[in-house]
Amino acid sequence: MCLLISDWLSLFMSVYFPQKLLPYLLLMPQLVVTAIFFLWPAGQAVEQAFYQEDAFGLSRDYVGLDNFTELFTSPEYFASLKTTMVFSFSVAFLGLAVALWLAVMADRVIRGAMVYQTLLIWPYAVAPALAGVLWWILFDPSMGPMALLLEYIGIDWNHFVNGDQAMILVVISATWKQISYNFLFFLAGLQAIPRSLIEAAAIDGAGPSKRFWDIVFPLLSPTTFFLLVVNLVYAFFETFGVIDATTQGGPGQSTTTMVYKVFNDGFVGLDLGSSAAQSVVLMVIVGLMTVVQFRYIERKVQY
Amino acid sequence: MSDLVLRNIGKTYDNGYQAIPSIDLTIEEGEFIVLVGPSGCGKSTLLRMVAGLESISQGDLLIKGDQVNNKEPAERDIAMVFQNYALYPHMSVYDNMAYGLKNRGEPKSEIETKVNAVAQMLGLEELLTRKPRQLSGGQRQRVAMGRAMVRDPKVFLFDEPLSNLDAKLRVQMRVEIRELQRKLGTTTLYVTHDQVEAMTLADRLVVLNKGHAEQVGTPMALYERPASTFVAQFIGSPSMNLIPSTIENGVLQLGVDSQLACPQFSTDKVMWGIRPEHVDIVPLQDADLSLQVKAVEALGAETLIHGSVKTSEDKLYPFVVRLSGNHAPDIGQPIGIRVPQQAWHVFDVVTTKRIEPL
Ligand SMILES: Nc1ncnc2c1ncn2[C@@H]1O[C@H](COP(=O)(O)OP(=O)(O)OP(=O)(O)O)[C@@H](O)[C@H]1O
Ligand SMILES: [Mg+2]
Repeated sequence: MCLLISDWLSLFMSVYFPQKLLPYLLLMPQLVVTAIFFLWPAGQAVEQAFYQEDAFGLSRDYVGLDNFTELFTSPEYFASLKTTMVFSFSVAFLGLAVALWLAVMADRVIRGAMVYQTLLIWPYAVAPALAGVLWWILFDPSMGPMALLLEYIGIDWNHFVNGDQAMILVVISATWKQISYNFLFFLAGLQAIPRSLIEAAAIDGAGPSKRFWDIVFPLLSPTTFFLLVVNLVYAFFETFGVIDATTQGGPGQSTTTMVYKVFNDGFVGLDLGSSAAQSVVLMVIVGLMTVVQFRYIERKVQY
Repeated sequence: MSDLVLRNIGKTYDNGYQAIPSIDLTIEEGEFIVLVGPSGCGKSTLLRMVAGLESISQGDLLIKGDQVNNKEPAERDIAMVFQNYALYPHMSVYDNMAYGLKNRGEPKSEIETKVNAVAQMLGLEELLTRKPRQLSGGQRQRVAMGRAMVRDPKVFLFDEPLSNLDAKLRVQMRVEIRELQRKLGTTTLYVTHDQVEAMTLADRLVVLNKGHAEQVGTPMALYERPASTFVAQFIGSPSMNLIPSTIENGVLQLGVDSQLACPQFSTDKVMWGIRPEHVDIVPLQDADLSLQVKAVEALGAETLIHGSVKTSEDKLYPFVVRLSGNHAPDIGQPIGIRVPQQAWHVFDVVTTKRIEPL
């Protein structure tokens, strides 16, 4: 059916649009959206990164690379870099591990998989800010059920004062949403592994956990790598909402990731120049990650 | 001592489907047993129960005298070759073959000796460092066999190991498997739905039909004295001609105008059969039966004549004659055929079991 339509379309195009105008027409809406909401602000940010603006936005001076040198000599920026690393790798690791564990369970009871799939996709549909608020309520030091439970088993929970606990909270909130996404990919990956391979390994004398680490896990590695990159990108760039709703970067700077710092310095600290320079750094990072991923995907499967 | 004993073995799947009601089978050491039957008759199910990949719902499975019903596959000391070979795609040929030995905790040097010995036997020395995807179908098949052989198991299990190969390679591998098994003397259970494979490989054949063993015996025994119409049609190619007939006063009423002297049987309504290769063509006036020719397949060394026989009830039954050499009867014309009595097979119409003259 698809084929028919595209055949027909290409015929139609070659007859009516000898200059290949149609493809561009069809792409137009997407291109316009990209230009208005991405390219233009990105250009603005790059420009802004070379200026210093006063707090009221009345005047601005060209300052060259000053914003960048200031950034790279600021211990605070490196603190946020470290926070980002801890946060991102925790989210990616936790998200992958939990999702893989769930997928392995679901794969065992294949018939139940549909139920699992439906249930586990729900968190993904929840808006990031809501996810943050949800966990914020659950862990609220004075009335959150989770906090009370922790207190019951002897852990004094207060993420408003304890930086490590705040980090744990944002990691959990950010991971939670990502698990369902990871789960679907892992489950598909698991189901693509022929049963006979596992059976052959069983006959070869490998127990369940050995089968997993010797056979299943290596065969899942393309999926795992793909998800690792996706999750890192997510944790790096898309967790602003979660952090803002949960800890607002605090206490102190303990949960201020690079993305959150862009917002904080720009809109709260009103240092637009530095904020813009930081976004440029992030753009470079996301670019690099994309290149890594494409490189890898081009090489396809490893075994 | 018998090597492998299946005693009243049955399988009912979790969904309530009874794939195998009950099977008894005693296999001697070094025997090559082929399980054959149409798709869905339970061949794989039976094999997988022996392997330990499927639980046994009823009965006892004994390997070398030990009851192994509840043992893990690894503890049964069997090796299996899968239809899709099931080679570990991320491991080299060497590692594929060595994996089972490693899991057993054998020393490295011993593993190397064993793998190299098997690789040499199968002509895989050059391929040891390759990954499975870098091998041809035939080579993969060989590696799968090597992986099974290297552990020197008590029993080999094969589940349609040749069905993914092209016709020529299949014949070659068939001969090779038989040779290897003779050399190693390992008890073997082999599943196939290809009756040529079954006939050529087996010491004894088990014909399965809907989960029960229709007949167990040597290929020749099954060919010469099939126990039921099912076996008669399954063994031999093209399959046996069967025509329902009646016997009255020592006369077999076969075709419309064909009445043949016939010994007495316990029943009058019979299914009469003869193999295509046991039929001769003769001039019409000397014929036992006349055949309306529908198609002729000249295969060079032999000719297959497809036709139909009209019974006294005015029904048409397909009938095939297999002749050596080249023949060219006219299509659409009747020809005379002779059906010698010593080549007859007679079955009960109701039970479909073979019956002998009283
Ligand atoms: N896991 C299962 N659950 C329920 N029924 C099953 C299961 N596996 C197989 N069956 C059924 O059991 C019967 C026997 O299956 P089996 O795979 O043993 O057939 P087979 O003889 O190997 O056929 P083929 O030649 O097609 O491989 C089939 O009717 C099949 O549908
Ligand atoms: Mg099968």
